[in-house]
Amino acid sequence: MIEFEDKERFHFLGMFASDRRYYNEDFVIRYVFLDKKEHNLKINTINTNNEFKSIQNPLANLYEREIYEMFGLSPVGLDDLRPLRLFPENYPKDFHPLRKDTKLDIEYRGYGDYEFENFEPEGSFKILVGPIHAGIIEPGHFRFTLLGEPILKLEIRHSWKHKGIEKFAEEKSVNFAKILSENISGDHTIAHTLAFVRAVENACNINISLKAKYIRAIFLELERLMCNLNDFAFIFQDVGYSFGAQKVFVLKEKLMRLNYDISGHRFNKGVITLGGVSKDLSLEDIKRIKEFLGFLEKEYFKYKSLFLNSPTILERTDTTGEINYETAMRYYALGYTAKASGVFADTRVLLDEDVCKNMLSYHVLQKGDVTTRVLARFNDIEESIKVIKTLLDNIEEGEIIKSQKLVPNSMGFGVVESQRGNIVHMVELDQDANIYRWKIRDPSFHNWPLIQFAVLKDIIADFPLVNKSLNLSYAGNDL
Amino acid sequence: MINILRTFLKEGIQAKDIEPNKENIKIYKNIPMCFSKSLYIRHVDCGSCNACEYELSALTNPIYDIERFGIKFVASPKHADAFTISGSITRNMKTPLLDALQNVSNPIIIAIGDCAIDGGIFRGAYGIIGGLRDLNIEPHIWIKGCPPKPEDIIGGILMANGVLR
Ligand code: SF4
Repeated sequence: MIEFEDKERFHFLGMFASDRRYYNEDFVIRYVFLDKKEHNLKINTINTNNEFKSIQNPLANLYEREIYEMFGLSPVGLDDLRPLRLFPENYPKDFHPLRKDTKLDIEYRGYGDYEFENFEPEGSFKILVGPIHAGIIEPGHFRFTLLGEPILKLEIRHSWKHKGIEKFAEEKSVNFAKILSENISGDHTIAHTLAFVRAVENACNINISLKAKYIRAIFLELERLMCNLNDFAFIFQDVGYSFGAQKVFVLKEKLMRLNYDISGHRFNKGVITLGGVSKDLSLEDIKRIKEFLGFLEKEYFKYKSLFLNSPTILERTDTTGEINYETAMRYYALGYTAKASGVFADTRVLLDEDVCKNMLSYHVLQKGDVTTRVLARFNDIEESIKVIKTLLDNIEEGEIIKSQKLVPNSMGFGVVESQRGNIVHMVELDQDANIYRWKIRDPSFHNWPLIQFAVLKDIIADFPLVNKSLNLSYAGNDL
Repeated sequence: MINILRTFLKEGIQAKDIEPNKENIKIYKNIPMCFSKSLYIRHVDCGSCNACEYELSALTNPIYDIERFGIKFVASPKHADAFTISGSITRNMKTPLLDALQNVSNPIIIAIGDCAIDGGIFRGAYGIIGGLRDLNIEPHIWIKGCPPKPEDIIGGILMANGVLR
């Protein structure tokens, strides 16, 4: 595929497959690219019945394995077909849940053990971590191969939390799927709901009012702010600087309380609805948000300079967890991880969907280590504050929700730049305007493999720090 | 640095009193009195959406400061008296969960969030086996909410061990 050759222009966003046999068509696989020159999505479609050609790219290979496992379509030329989500210990062989004719009320029994990669150089030893970790975090299994102190290789096994959300939503109503979308990755509630809702709105040609766009953007930025503050605090914590960490945790807590005061939910669940938003911002709310931003700015810069002026912290974070430009490009990195390694894929700037397009800068950094990823977050925090302020100043009167009519047999994509990177949802509706196929793509799916490169040559004690500096979602990856 | 320390002193202690919403707390069994001032908890996420983890990790911040009640999150089940369990239990997480529970005799089980009891909104998806009920594990406490508020989580524990009425 020609787009894979021109990486500077086309940023690969994923492969979206669907079983269209019900419509007397074949299986469809859509390759989605972000065209950085034309500022739109480029979608290539292929049809197939049983196999398709594998692409020479490690990230595309992951998508191919996913499609092989979920649909039973074989990628020709790809040898590694190990399952990603359906563990051989727990699921029967040849079980492809997203095929429309697969029965789900079967006996779930495994057929074997997962094969880890065979990598045992002489003198090396292994440290196995997880699935349950020491901190209050989500489950995942990490296998380190070490030679002395430095890490030689890291192999990750994910999908302990695979629930089967995509299949579960099929034949259900759009409203039910919207509630599911709020619970895909809890800290990204707004972003995932927005991506889903946008996909449906694109499919059904629903236009929303300018005011609703503003309010959506404000809540999206509030969520970005919350996640960035949380990450910032955890970086402090993981370098053993709990004094800074606790202070920033307090900022995050105040933001969550602000959320609660405005929308009645600490994560703003339920704010985004089809056709607009369910929550209007009163003058009182606007005043509250502005007050908070004023307070936040004052406090945040204190801790930013604390971080940047402390040699003990920078000693830990500089040159730790480096991801170079080539790796970030090859794996089509997203979000701050990409920005820190010199790759820019922010769809708020590169696409025309968001109202904050002109308020943001084309901001990339080069070194790709933990410090740089923190710096990228600093930039995001400052931009979020600026964007929310501008939006609040310019918000106009108007309706916040429009009546919507769902269009049967339609298809649409929704793209949202969340804190971790862009989220893409594809929604197909059936003849009753219920969900026919829903594909969720969380940015974590692109960024997880990068950790395997980031930790190389570091010591194992730095792994929590590297992991937190990318701070990826397990739930969004496992689905 | 000195300036920051000075502002700290001026701010003083930030921890607030815990005022839970009792409607969100369901107590099936009380926690034995001997744990009333010291309870070590191991958290296991069995398939949550990660909002429950977000709120659990907020418990240690200065505003909630759960450690002032002698409640502490520990790194291994072998150090723990109690488990907090969140999320609908997936097929893939069932074995790790049971393995972890095996390390503690008569563990105190605290179910966090709507999912943990019966799978919540995800009940019926092929990847989950449901919740604690489907594994015949009876929790001591269930904190409702999606996700539950930090006050309710702390309040639930304190009510079950008799510290709070
Ligand atoms: S109870 Fe709600 S917040 Fe908690 S894991 Fe379940 S869906 Fe997520």
